[in-house]
Amino acid sequence: MKTLVIIPAYNEQDNIVKLVEEIRKYDYDYLVINDCSKDETARILDEHHFSHFDLPINLGIAGVTRVGFLYARDNGYDCVICIDGDGQHQPKYISLLENEIENGMDYCVGSRFVNEKKPRNMRMFGSRILCALIKFKTGKKVTDPTSGMRALGRRLIEDFSQSMNFYAEPDTICYLLHQGYKVKEVQVKMKEREAGVSYFHSPFKSMYFMLAEIMTILFVR
Amino acid sequence: MSTSLRIGLLLASIGVFAIIVFCVVKRKVNIKYSIVWILWALLSLLMAVFPETFYFLAHVLGIEMPVNAVFLIMIALLYALTFYVYITITKHNEEIIKLTYEIAALKKRVEELEQNER
Repeated sequence: MKTLVIIPAYNEQDNIVKLVEEIRKYDYDYLVINDCSKDETARILDEHHFSHFDLPINLGIAGVTRVGFLYARDNGYDCVICIDGDGQHQPKYISLLENEIENGMDYCVGSRFVNEKKPRNMRMFGSRILCALIKFKTGKKVTDPTSGMRALGRRLIEDFSQSMNFYAEPDTICYLLHQGYKVKEVQVKMKEREAGVSYFHSPFKSMYFMLAEIMTILFVR
Repeated sequence: MSTSLRIGLLLASIGVFAIIVFCVVKRKVNIKYSIVWILWALLSLLMAVFPETFYFLAHVLGIEMPVNAVFLIMIALLYALTFYVYITITKHNEEIIKLTYEIAALKKRVEELEQNER
């Protein structure tokens, strides 16, 4: 099975080398997608001869993942795994997700809370709301709806590369469950981001994200 | 509708029409998109010249003041137009993503070929 690891990177000069070196140790095909970073990310990728895309414009996370899926589709990959460029997803768990796709799953998510307890804080409160909504809509249990560490099989690569609406994780998983795709969560551990700033650094962005997700799950998916 | 409102509408419609034609000639707007704005100008002209149509419309819609019917119709048209713009934005967004992908893929391929040559 041909597997591709895609790594969206925006201003990740301090994290990216360590992450890619580790992925290379496991001998996966990978593609770093530099979303027009303002820091030294592009130069670092060139210097280390990492397999990468340098996007000419800043597309945002939705566009970046689409670009990755298009690449996977055009190069005949059977499985795509998304890993964040900030180092919070550890490459040692990639094989867990890959195995599930190999065993016939369509979509596999690395979840922090399959066996572990969810902590009680603001972030996880949001996560709980989304879990409840997905349960209400599909009747199925999801433990970590916002996890960005996910793997898709061949059936979904084509769909995801063509559709504009599969970038936000919670409503995507809700849609897939609803449509009867085979979805599975596996337990992984995640680290805190090591350097740089997250996309969700502002509370307004998080709130807007939550609102958009709630509306989408309720009315669209 | 008062006479002053009718005169206002008339002037506005002539002004809008002039601006559109100017923009088309100066190539600031595509003719394709100017059509809808010309129709817009014609509509306000129609309102100014034949207010009776709007008295009738207001009556049908159960609106007491004809001027409110004018507002309602204008706002509804603006909504439709804005939504059309959103659809266009979405389409352009999709095209930009595909183009960006093509450029990035070509760039990668060229870099690989250059490296092999060396």
